[in-house]
Amino acid sequence: MRRDLIIGMAGSGGDGIVSAGESLTAACATEGYHAMMTKSFGSQIRGGESSCRVRLAIDPVLNPGGALDVAVALNWEDFLKFGAELPVGGNTVVIYDSATGVPTDKLPLTGVVPDEVFAVPIGEMARKSAGTDKAKNTIVLGLLSGWFGIVREGVMKGLRKKLAKKGPELLAANERAFQAGIEYAAAHPLRTSRLMEKPEKPGVKLLTDGNDICAAAAVFSGCQFFGGYPITPSTEVMQFLTREIWKYGGAVLQAEDEIAGVGAALGASFAGKKSMTATSGPGMSLKTEVIGLASIAELPLVIVNVQRGGPSTGMPTKSEQSDLFQAVYSAHGDVVRPVLAPTSVSDTFDVTVEAFNLAEKYQTPVIVLSDQEIAQRKEVIDPIDTSRFQVIDRLRPTAAELEAGYDRFKLTDSGISPISHPGMKGGNYLGAGIEHTEHGEPTASGAMHARMTEKRFRKFDPLRERKDLFRIEGDADAPLALIAWGSIAGVCREALALARAERLRVKLLVPYLLYPIAEGVYRRFFESVKAGLVVEQSHQGHLYRILRTQLDLPKGLRPFCRTGANPFRPSEVVDTLRDAVLEMQRRVEDTQQPQE
Amino acid sequence: MTSLPTFTAKDFKSDLKPIWCPGCGDFGVLQAMYRALAAIGRPSHEIAFISGIGCSSRIPGYTTAYGFNSVHGRALPIAQGIKLARPDLLVLAAGGDGDGFSIGGGHVPHAIRRNADLTYIVMDNQIYGLTKGQLSPTSAKGRKTVTSSYGSLESAVNPLLYVLAYGAPFVAQGTPADMAGLAAIIEEAIRYPGFAFVNVQSPCVTYGEEEQQVKAQKANMKSLASLKHDPTNLLAALDLARAYGTELYTGVFYKNPQPPSTMDGLVRERQNQLALNALPREKILDLFVQK
Amino acid sequence: MTIKGIDFASLSLKDALDLAVLIEEEAKERYEEFADQMKSHRTPEAARFFLFMAGNEEKHRVQLAAQRRELFSDAAPRVTRQMIFDVEAPEYDEARAFMTAREALQAAFRAEKKAYAFFNEALPRVREPGVKALFEELRAEEIEHQRLVLAELEKTPPDSALKADDFADEPVAQ
Repeated sequence: MRRDLIIGMAGSGGDGIVSAGESLTAACATEGYHAMMTKSFGSQIRGGESSCRVRLAIDPVLNPGGALDVAVALNWEDFLKFGAELPVGGNTVVIYDSATGVPTDKLPLTGVVPDEVFAVPIGEMARKSAGTDKAKNTIVLGLLSGWFGIVREGVMKGLRKKLAKKGPELLAANERAFQAGIEYAAAHPLRTSRLMEKPEKPGVKLLTDGNDICAAAAVFSGCQFFGGYPITPSTEVMQFLTREIWKYGGAVLQAEDEIAGVGAALGASFAGKKSMTATSGPGMSLKTEVIGLASIAELPLVIVNVQRGGPSTGMPTKSEQSDLFQAVYSAHGDVVRPVLAPTSVSDTFDVTVEAFNLAEKYQTPVIVLSDQEIAQRKEVIDPIDTSRFQVIDRLRPTAAELEAGYDRFKLTDSGISPISHPGMKGGNYLGAGIEHTEHGEPTASGAMHARMTEKRFRKFDPLRERKDLFRIEGDADAPLALIAWGSIAGVCREALALARAERLRVKLLVPYLLYPIAEGVYRRFFESVKAGLVVEQSHQGHLYRILRTQLDLPKGLRPFCRTGANPFRPSEVVDTLRDAVLEMQRRVEDTQQPQE
Repeated sequence: MTSLPTFTAKDFKSDLKPIWCPGCGDFGVLQAMYRALAAIGRPSHEIAFISGIGCSSRIPGYTTAYGFNSVHGRALPIAQGIKLARPDLLVLAAGGDGDGFSIGGGHVPHAIRRNADLTYIVMDNQIYGLTKGQLSPTSAKGRKTVTSSYGSLESAVNPLLYVLAYGAPFVAQGTPADMAGLAAIIEEAIRYPGFAFVNVQSPCVTYGEEEQQVKAQKANMKSLASLKHDPTNLLAALDLARAYGTELYTGVFYKNPQPPSTMDGLVRERQNQLALNALPREKILDLFVQK
Repeated sequence: MTIKGIDFASLSLKDALDLAVLIEEEAKERYEEFADQMKSHRTPEAARFFLFMAGNEEKHRVQLAAQRRELFSDAAPRVTRQMIFDVEAPEYDEARAFMTAREALQAAFRAEKKAYAFFNEALPRVREPGVKALFEELRAEEIEHQRLVLAELEKTPPDSALKADDFADEPVAQ
């Protein structure tokens, strides 16, 4: 019995293949599977090629996986457009519509012969069972359910829920189509059974994506203001909050531009409310000046950047990890601000709550670097126990402090000064982008500028000691290492398991805190490391380069990078790691060769 | 004679000494602000005063209100964020003509259409003073400055028409040449429940031209009241506003007698309506439970 | 010169005295502000003169305040500073960086003339004889002040034809 199944499906937008993927994923949730669904589209707004991958498993799903176990092509032209996003391997079962006229031994796939191939009259079955070939996607669900023994009840439940309002006829038609698929599968069994195990305990599961859970985390953290501007792939954060935030005394402003969005959010923070904005690369470029203002005015602000391919418009619907330099360095003046990155839908919650906490605690902008993959993929995850999170509020001046003559930017040992807000009697001060004294008066004094700059850096010292913002997995004293952040960390987690199964002695470091660099954490991690990879989905390898500027890295540690929209597979990470080991061994041999 | 106010102008004067050049029009604007705030009678800690960058944008620091001297052109977005987050505050925004009609010009129409209850005061001196005398969006065509050595090739923005055209419900103009009038205009603007715009012809003593100075203004200014202008007449207001740059009219151009709903008011209403449907914050993830 | 909401006809002597005190107070504060402006713009002679003027106004204010206390003790006033705009205070526009002592004196002279005009204009509207007497006295004092300033002006050497601005550094861009 299988514990893990990767399904990839493609068709034209009208085929509703993504809708089928969503039904499948939702059904996984009701039946207690873990699942992850990613979508991919052509550039047309509607009707172009579209695809989805659904990976379902008994255990939590770490990444969308590599080669497909099941490939579904409603037409080949659309399927092939997705190339590496829907890789067919030697173990894949291929299912396609026989109406495409492609013989089963002449599949338009280069260099690979799939394990089993089924040309199914999908369109015809849809017409016969449901009276319309629009029901092709429901036929596909029936086929998958039949062949892999999954989510029969869940799909039916989902259909009933989804179509409840649309009338009994449509529901009945879909039920017939689903049944037809199941029957076809029963009549044409797989050569080798690939039935999935049933989840032990169906238990409650959450179904959501990175953007929605990010927004929910904001509500949980007490966020009461969102200012933003629609931009793919981050917009769902704003959309969620426009539904929910009012209920908690908050407000959303869909601003006239990215600058106004972050400006309004900063205003709300100045007014004493927790606030956030969300955007993607081009929006980050525009928001940069106001983020700098938040740093010098020492105002809490959470900025979510859902990364996409860049520069400029780049690839709005594709994931990339190429905004780390921007997050860390895109400021004029001497400034540091925390940069956090989630690695999955589930930990996007943790990271967003942490971002609010850091923003409040250190009175600073905090950048959450999500990426398109995490933000827009649907995951079926275990419930999150919110009671384990502490929610921090900014340090406010006490009544006594206000009475004694309040200095907004008081130079304290910690570098953190109690912060007042309008409405607080005696807390009146001038917030400003201009350098200021402790009292908030503008100054051009070099000495004061030095003290204030030092204060704004010093306050982050404890953050560099936050080991809990890192995960180290694998053998603590392993000579091999993987370092990965963001969605790629999920790939490397699986790669770690594969490598250890091959008896490679390897460990994985996943930083949730990308900046400031927690030097101690890295140094201790590097102590045993002889070789390894920093795996990143960008051309330059931003984290690798930042680490090189701030730390002495083990000689054998090198970047393993590629640009966005080209997913990593766990197996190739292991292959590359093996190469790194060989290279290291050659180096050792070289030094041991007697010189002639 | 009126009853005694709780506050005097001095309550709103901070210890910070203005950096403006002696003779700057902004001193008069500041004094008028003090007077207007004293007349309004809200304590300083309930006032948020936001500005951008420029000589005039220093103004919040010279008051005792919570001030925020932000970045160039962004006073309005920040002010709106404050007002939507805290509708109970008195929110003021101020800045120069460059701040409001060049770099921040894109924000003005949107602030107007949202109609948050705030007051926006532009100290319009038709020049960039802080950077030493460059062309501004309200500089007259043909004006010679250090960035228009042979005369400006561009027409000036007309701030009055600009805001009237976008539907601002309160539009007025004043000058420090008539401080009492200016204080009254600012007070009326603050009292107006909605987005109120006041253009102040506040001359630059260092880079301004002779005919822009207070003395010249005193000779030229005409109060709209003396012209028997009816401030509820939008078409008449638009017509008078066309004279920006040639005539110096002071007073209220337009005051919508039926104040439209404010965004901060609507936000409050929506919050009240929806509050009952709220899951406890710690249960927010229940929204994602798949049953 | 504008007066907000003052109905001179109904002015009592107490009101008039309060008004006079506030007028002096406004002038004193403005001169102090000017002195500050001059100090921060390194124009010390004008700063000194404005401080001197502030002292004069203050002296006068103290006298008037004493008179008021004597006549009306601490009865609550009905007039406020909100009603007074630049009566005896020189207008902001009068100040200039690097102004000469002579220019400062001229500014003060214009302010005194303005104050005279104020009382002159108010007087025909005043009904209460006590107020009338007070305003006449104050108007006369303004003439006296003008004389004093003129005398000072005469003592002050004429300004050079060369302007300070012709020698001063360019303003500093911020």
